[in-house]
Amino acid sequence: MTVAHDLAFGPTGPTRATELPTGVSAGRVGRAVQGVLWAVVLAFCLVPLILVVVISFGHKVEGAGWEWALTLENYQRFIVGANWPAESTSLYLGQLYWSMRYAVVASLLAVVTALPFTYLMTRQSRRAQAVWLVFLLATLSLSEVFIVMGWDIILSNNSGLPMLFAASGLTDWLKETGWFDVLRDWGLANPRNVKFKPSEVATVLTLSYLVWPYAVILLYPALSRLDPSLAEAARTMGARPWTVARTVILPSVRLPLIGTTLLLFVFLLGAYVAITVFADPSQHTTAVSVYEHVRGSTLNAPFGAAQSVILLITATAFLVIGQRLTRKSPGAQ
Amino acid sequence: MCALALKDIRKTYGDASAVDDVSIDFPQGQLTALLGPSGCGKTTLLRMIAGLEVPTAGTITLGGRDITRLPAHRRKFGMVFQSFALFPHLSVRENIGYALTIAGTSKAEVVARADKLLDLVQLQGFGDRRIGQLSGGQRQRVAIARALAQEPEVFLLDEPMSALDAKLREEMQVELRLLQQRLGITTIVVTHDQREAMTMADRIIVMSKGRVEQSGSPQEIYQWPATGFVAGFIGRANFMEGLADNGNIRVGDVLLALAEPANFINGASVQLACRPEAIRLGAADTGNMVKGTITFIRDLGPVRDFHLDTPLGKLVVEQGADQGRDVRLGETVALTLPPEALRIYPRSTALPPMEMAAE
Repeated sequence: MTVAHDLAFGPTGPTRATELPTGVSAGRVGRAVQGVLWAVVLAFCLVPLILVVVISFGHKVEGAGWEWALTLENYQRFIVGANWPAESTSLYLGQLYWSMRYAVVASLLAVVTALPFTYLMTRQSRRAQAVWLVFLLATLSLSEVFIVMGWDIILSNNSGLPMLFAASGLTDWLKETGWFDVLRDWGLANPRNVKFKPSEVATVLTLSYLVWPYAVILLYPALSRLDPSLAEAARTMGARPWTVARTVILPSVRLPLIGTTLLLFVFLLGAYVAITVFADPSQHTTAVSVYEHVRGSTLNAPFGAAQSVILLITATAFLVIGQRLTRKSPGAQ
Repeated sequence: MCALALKDIRKTYGDASAVDDVSIDFPQGQLTALLGPSGCGKTTLLRMIAGLEVPTAGTITLGGRDITRLPAHRRKFGMVFQSFALFPHLSVRENIGYALTIAGTSKAEVVARADKLLDLVQLQGFGDRRIGQLSGGQRQRVAIARALAQEPEVFLLDEPMSALDAKLREEMQVELRLLQQRLGITTIVVTHDQREAMTMADRIIVMSKGRVEQSGSPQEIYQWPATGFVAGFIGRANFMEGLADNGNIRVGDVLLALAEPANFINGASVQLACRPEAIRLGAADTGNMVKGTITFIRDLGPVRDFHLDTPLGKLVVEQGADQGRDVRLGETVALTLPPEALRIYPRSTALPPMEMAAE
């Protein structure tokens, strides 16, 4: 018996012996890979970020470049203006407000419209779903500039929809029915014709159009995993279609819904092209201001950096709030 | 009295036909099992009863009222789904109270009713638990309680035991049957498990390829399978091919006598079925005797299976553990096929899904 035992377990000795060095080298390789990864993260993410933070405390030399310093003047300028306490301005806080307002409205609009679409999509055949997903992924390859240009043409006053409104008599009809005055109140018409540019409506619509495919792709996994028998069970218990949506489907995808909205929100905080094209200059955002200060005529990198840091803090704050919301949720799995 | 009636129900998806001309009456207060292999249309039929699918043709009536096109939320037949379909974002009590809550019942009343139902399914004190904290068996009880909360006229269960392990399954079958008898509720259970159907049902409807093969009490179906398919699907059977011969059946060189003369013209090709436990080892004064060689003995404890090579073909004989103790492998023994245990079917009927179908 012992002989058989030894025979059976004999080969493990040498195997283990040869395993030892390979194990050690595997550990070394792993550590090396990890080191490289950290170096990449450090070089491409952390160092630029730290640089921006440091520059945000720098000092702008009037009529020249800027110099390293440790001053809060850039943050003070953002919050109360450069000439405080003699005079104060909320110009930059206002821009931050518009950043958040556009991002909140556009991300909500995208999620609210993408949700029913994605739900219906997941009820289609596998093939139809694949076609839709490929199509939506393909639209992501269009750059923001390209999309904004397209909408710019569609909404432009002389060649786009307003022209079509006037030519088709829709403008006259709106004037007769009184809707024209409503549109003027909303800033969507001048005395002669409808106009969509510049307007908040056009800005928000374009922004949500930009992120809409992301909304669908982010919501798709959660909705396609949703057991169809959940909705059917609710129906057999007397729930009408709207009740099913409200009491079963929405609560089941609450977490992905919040997550998607937050992601789109953060993404839209940095939107630039659509804002410059569609928003009124008085309603421009922090992102636009950052660009103007860093690359534009003023060449005030420290102030641009300070605005970037504030934008970053805002985004982080929203993410933290979202995290809290989802953690407190009773339905968390 | 007839609670629910299906008449000439048909369901087609494009060219494929899922349910073909099915007419069934479901008597008040009885438990009916729709039994068949997967893809036989039993679940589609149940979904049409629940209102989740609309029949292509035919009518469904409840107490004489036509409900064929009534949507599911207005039928309110309680249904237990294969996956149980419990709402993960609600507590056990909220799940059970769902039907009442969306109907606008007061909160206190919902809680009282839910707790009463939790008693009924023996889950006292589980009301505040989350669905994720429950075991499979507990989930099933919650699903049953939830379906019963709205006091449905018809109680539907789609493969309710398939998510449970084998031991729990048998316990729950008995428990569900006792609950159904206590409540006296008209119940329809879809299953592919013949033991489950025989444990629970007043009446079994065997389906195959979208059609009803046979309907009757469990004993009727077991003792008198109407077709070769039923004989193979319910329990086990030895199948033999033969020819009609003056009221008897000739299988190879052996002439087998029947209890009643077979109603086939001479030379007609027929299929014979005989339950393994109906064949006896040893010679008898009456009955059809053949000799066979034992090729395999399967000792299952309470019973033993003998596999034999005989002039009739390969046969399996099931005997009580106390019988045939002296029989050895390779031995040639006599065996008797009682005439009253032989069932014959025309050759045209479909072959059973598998020979010697496992239990």
